[in-house]
Amino acid sequence: MKDFDLKLPDSLDAAVGELPSEYSRDGAQVLAGGQDIVTVMKDAIERPAALVSLQRLGLDAIEWDGDGGVTIGATVTIQALAEDPNMEFSLPALREAARSIGSPQIRSQGTVGGNLNQRPRCPYYRHPSVSCFKKGGSVCLAEFGFNKYAAIFGGGPSYYSHPSDLATVLLMLGATVSITGPAGERRVPLSELYLLPEDALDTETVLSPDEILTSVHIPAQPPGARSSYLKFKERASYDFALAAVAVSVTRGDDGVVTEARVVLGGVAPKPWEVPAAARALVGEPMGPQAWTAAGEAAVADADPLEHNGYKIHLVKGLLFRALEALA
Amino acid sequence: MSHSAKGSPASEPSWGKRSDLDVLNRDIPRVDGPVKATGQAIYTHDVRLPDMLWARLLIHPVPRAEIESIDLEAASEMPGVVHIEALKESGDTVRYHGDDAVLAVVAAETPEQAADALREIRVKATSLPPVVTRAQALEDDAPVVSRRRNADANVGRANERGDAARADAALAEAVAVVERTFEIPVQHHACLETHGHVVQPAPDDEPVTVYASTQSVGGTPRGLARTLGRDASRIRVLTPHMGGGFGSKFGPGLEGALAARVANTTGRPVHLMLTRADEFAIAGNRSGSRQTLKVGADSEGRLVGLKLEADKLGGVSGGSLPGPPYIYTVADDDAVSSKIRSVHTATDGSRAMRAPGHPQASFAMEAAVDELAYLLGMDLVEMRIRNLESDVHHRQLRRVAEEIGWAEHPHRDRPGTAVNGRAVGIGFGVSVWGPGGRSSRCDVTVRPDGSVVSATATQDLGTGARTYVAAIVAEELGLTVDMVEARIGDSDLPPSVTSGGSVTTGSSAPAIKDAAHKAREALEALVADVLGAPVGSYSWKGGRVSVRGDASRSLPWIAVCALLREPLVAQGEFRDFLHEGRIHGAQAARVEVDTLTGRVKVLKMVTCQDQGLPLNRLALRSQINGGMIQALSYGLLEQRVFDEQDGFLLSDTLDLYKLAGAQEIPEMVALIDDEDERPSVCGMAEAPVIPGHSAIAGAIHNACGARLTRMPFTADNVLETLYGKI
Repeated sequence: MKDFDLKLPDSLDAAVGELPSEYSRDGAQVLAGGQDIVTVMKDAIERPAALVSLQRLGLDAIEWDGDGGVTIGATVTIQALAEDPNMEFSLPALREAARSIGSPQIRSQGTVGGNLNQRPRCPYYRHPSVSCFKKGGSVCLAEFGFNKYAAIFGGGPSYYSHPSDLATVLLMLGATVSITGPAGERRVPLSELYLLPEDALDTETVLSPDEILTSVHIPAQPPGARSSYLKFKERASYDFALAAVAVSVTRGDDGVVTEARVVLGGVAPKPWEVPAAARALVGEPMGPQAWTAAGEAAVADADPLEHNGYKIHLVKGLLFRALEALA
Repeated sequence: MSHSAKGSPASEPSWGKRSDLDVLNRDIPRVDGPVKATGQAIYTHDVRLPDMLWARLLIHPVPRAEIESIDLEAASEMPGVVHIEALKESGDTVRYHGDDAVLAVVAAETPEQAADALREIRVKATSLPPVVTRAQALEDDAPVVSRRRNADANVGRANERGDAARADAALAEAVAVVERTFEIPVQHHACLETHGHVVQPAPDDEPVTVYASTQSVGGTPRGLARTLGRDASRIRVLTPHMGGGFGSKFGPGLEGALAARVANTTGRPVHLMLTRADEFAIAGNRSGSRQTLKVGADSEGRLVGLKLEADKLGGVSGGSLPGPPYIYTVADDDAVSSKIRSVHTATDGSRAMRAPGHPQASFAMEAAVDELAYLLGMDLVEMRIRNLESDVHHRQLRRVAEEIGWAEHPHRDRPGTAVNGRAVGIGFGVSVWGPGGRSSRCDVTVRPDGSVVSATATQDLGTGARTYVAAIVAEELGLTVDMVEARIGDSDLPPSVTSGGSVTTGSSAPAIKDAAHKAREALEALVADVLGAPVGSYSWKGGRVSVRGDASRSLPWIAVCALLREPLVAQGEFRDFLHEGRIHGAQAARVEVDTLTGRVKVLKMVTCQDQGLPLNRLALRSQINGGMIQALSYGLLEQRVFDEQDGFLLSDTLDLYKLAGAQEIPEMVALIDDEDERPSVCGMAEAPVIPGHSAIAGAIHNACGARLTRMPFTADNVLETLYGKI
């Protein structure tokens, strides 16, 4: 690995001050748990001259407000998130997503902020010798090559699928992230955090290189809403999602769905909300007919490549299973 | 001088009656279990010598290229670099992804410095079309990448057997016929310890010491003699502990030769272990295959005709595939025809891997048997029994069927259907192997203080070999295992075999037994003067020797050894009658398939395996479990993946080359076939890896009617088989 400076600022302002305003391959980058940035550095995919650690900034708290909302600091570990005593009752889908991530070692070191900001897992991006759009190159080898894991929505000119489990659930929960940069703090809804490849290739988010994602705020959920996260790992023991669904359903007294939200993971360069699937559920009683209709609606706009058409079947199956578990 | 136990013994050694055994045929904890579990065991990777250099290889990322230049200048000026050399020069060609793609070696004071220096080597090269798939190799205008002499295409000469017309005639008369094309990807050995060596150079009058992660501690000195420029007898190879080989570590390879060369050149110890990415690139694999198999059966379920056309996909090597009919019998031998050829790609050559070719053959043959049974409405177990000659297989199949719950299973002669997208099925498979036994030696030393050493130049690949090296001697002398020190993994010890083809136990155990028996008889000759009974009339049990039939005339072990004036060395050798290599196995798997998501969950696997006398039942079950796990991982997940456009190896990490982990492991039952009462020993490592993935595929079919003809059984494969490719 290329030598780098480790910066350990004591304040957010100082941390921001260490970061460059323009992206470059050797510009300073943020270090939270290091589970992603260190791997891309080891493979010389990124070669930052400095890492700016968030370790001393006190961003590691989970704070529940009285009304059921919660604010999660960027350096809260995935393990701490999964183990938070309120999580199982209040936000079971988020807990399930946290538990599905990596291995115990990775969950203990990896952070919420790092998970949201991780880089693509596309085998071409991760291969040290391959040039691609995401690394400043001029091609996406996945488009006509090995694209089994690639996106079926939102692809082009690059076809990676976003690897974050937390992002998928947080979008379903209507979360907002707080971002601090030289101009101060701004809040961005999770639905606006991620960019598609057609909008940007050297990053996956709206964060500037000198901005730091400091926390995530999840508002109180609608009364009676039930939610779940179902992730399909090819290797159950430790894997990223081939596809995942985060779904929330609220039912009236008659059992008919009054509100629903469906977000897909692992199938697009960002968490992919499918309002049509939610609409297919609203006004219907929970049952196989509605679940199948929601699945069909969820994949209606899919545009698969040569080797990832199976994800269409998979998304339908996963959505069915997730809704079945909520019924 | 020492007592000699040479000469013709008073009686021949024997494994004895099973009911008389106190140590063998029981669960013996591994003698090296504690040091392995606590991290104290030193593997080659762990060796640290004073002044040692760390070497790393630069491997070209695409399979075929013309080298314009390799500029070492910047790299050679990097901190810590002591040695750097290019293995190719301007105008050279990289011909395949494998050892031919190694462009340079760097040795530095730290591994990080070596890796950093590698990145500063400037290679200018022009990529050539990659030829990494069978289809690419068979294109009309494909570049010839075959390494066969005078090759003008990428196809080796077909091995044709039988008479296709006779097979066709038999198939035409068959009541049920199935024809399928099966595609099996390349599997890696994925040894936990990568390949490599630590070479410690020495002055001409002292031996060079080489630590090697090898399956052949005895053969490695010869493999390095020329590179080191000295006779093999002056090279000592040590393999104290070893992290897996599975057939990929028979020789030093290019990495061993380079370690030796850099050590020779620099005069310093060199540590050269492959990185995981290197390991996937140049350390071998199990060949893939594409098989079109057509099999017919009569109304009684007997196989009556078979045709196979198969391509072995072993990269620049030939690949492996045994001829048909695999294990099963076709009524008329003449109604079997096959055409098997190698198709070469510009990829790393296949090597031996745990039962080379057999799992591939099993996958196609067991599928055909399943499908014929369903066409005829026959029970899957009954169909197998009708077409297997050996009654050992019959009883083993019945045993695994009982253990997996076959009699209670609702659909034994037809596939089931999913209910609410969930289906449970059971599948079966069988195995055979012929584990050899050949020349091997062992010295057993008994010292006057009562200590015992059993020494042979074998190696423990993780199998438990070290434990029986002690246990066999303990059994013969009436001692406990901890009273015998096992010495292995050292080429200076009495020679034994290379561990491949399950020959280790069948070769070394008889020699250990022979040495122990000779030691016992030599001790009995001494004891005879004290206890008065002739050699051959003593019982050695519980740390005492006593006259058989008269327990009052006895001596404790320590008193027996006190009769020695100097150490007793008994030299044993391979005795053919103590070995028999003919083994059988049967497996069953129960799976659940989620037909909505394509998830295959293996719920339970069962193996029943024979091998003669079980030396160590615990190690045996462990190795059977290991076979099932490796087959499960092969079936569910493993697959080498190349980019077909430019030829990058994409699956060169353990992230993307997916091995089964704890969550994939089902309930596993390893049954030792105790109806096998042969008074002989042999290895059995290959057999349990052969049919597991076939049984899982059969169980998927039995569950929901989806016959997967491709491996692995990942969600894309299951969903596309069920619903078609989108």
